[in-house]
Amino acid sequence: MADPAETLAQQATERAVDLLISAVDINEIIGLVELNAVLSRIDLNALLARADINALMTQVDINALLARLDLNALLARVDMNTLLDQVDVNDLVRRVDVEGLVRNTDLGAVIATSTGGVATEVLDVARSQAVGLDQLVNRWVRRLLRQEPGPDVPPALLRPQAAVTSAEAAS
Amino acid sequence: MSAGASPADMVSYQSHYAGAVSRFAAYAVDVVVVTVAFELVLAGTSYCVQIVTGHHVSWNRTGVVVAVLLAVWQFVYFAYSWAVGGRTPGMALMGVRVVRADGTTLDPLHAILRALVFPLNFLLAGLPFLVILVQRERRGVADLIAGSAVIYSWDARSARLRFLARQPEVAADGRPPDLAVPGPGSTG
Repeated sequence: MADPAETLAQQATERAVDLLISAVDINEIIGLVELNAVLSRIDLNALLARADINALMTQVDINALLARLDLNALLARVDMNTLLDQVDVNDLVRRVDVEGLVRNTDLGAVIATSTGGVATEVLDVARSQAVGLDQLVNRWVRRLLRQEPGPDVPPALLRPQAAVTSAEAAS
Repeated sequence: MSAGASPADMVSYQSHYAGAVSRFAAYAVDVVVVTVAFELVLAGTSYCVQIVTGHHVSWNRTGVVVAVLLAVWQFVYFAYSWAVGGRTPGMALMGVRVVRADGTTLDPLHAILRALVFPLNFLLAGLPFLVILVQRERRGVADLIAGSAVIYSWDARSARLRFLARQPEVAADGRPPDLAVPGPGSTG
């Protein structure tokens, strides 16, 4: 059985602590603390190095987070024109593998159906054959005359990149 | 024997100086068009004269009048075609075009000059035509005088896409796709 005097002392102490806490103004104490000075003494890098980010991330419910995200509101705040102004559409189109698209998708069938008339096919073949024969004759003439290759394209029709290359080769 | 240009190279020849074969083929087509049109006009004229006057008119093909008319008709045909679009029907068929020597569009004045000096190509049994073979920019005598050049101008990219689009159909026949449709470089 506990000593009545000890019990009384404990109750008196608890009461005194309650009175003390109720008398203390926490806001005033926080106001006295120089938070910037405290924060400047904290090495955040060291703190983050000790933190297990992966473990932290496993606890995050991404689905719940995304469910709370209002994508429409977010997109409404995005200025698409500014965004598109920064996109080089020409470069984007150049990077599209059109030949791959034609070869591997139904686009090829569409082109074949819409433009694949007999006349077109005959014309393509005739022109292709003529170009091939031109190259053959040119090669043989150059070989016979021991001629250096001349320019392939008139100056005004040189593509910008080809023009730069030609200029560099000439200089 | 392969001429060396694969189907993939087709696009890269666009705007290049056209060779003698393409140009001669275009000219051959033009000769047929010019001759057929001329004969039709002569026949039409004879028919109309016969209806109106009742007299039968026959043209002396070796006569001076017909020769002059043919020369004028050929000049008009070539000069007008080059001045308007830089190409005759034959050139359009073979996908070649006349431009200024620097690659800019041929103006009417140079088109007329080219048409005037064009017959020089056929003097001395066509020897001047061979200049096209040896000249580095494939320019003939008429081109050198008129300050012009002939380039490939057909839509090779579309032709390449059509070639690719046809490949699956050909492959279904069991033949290798690359051999099924002749490319621009395969000459037999």
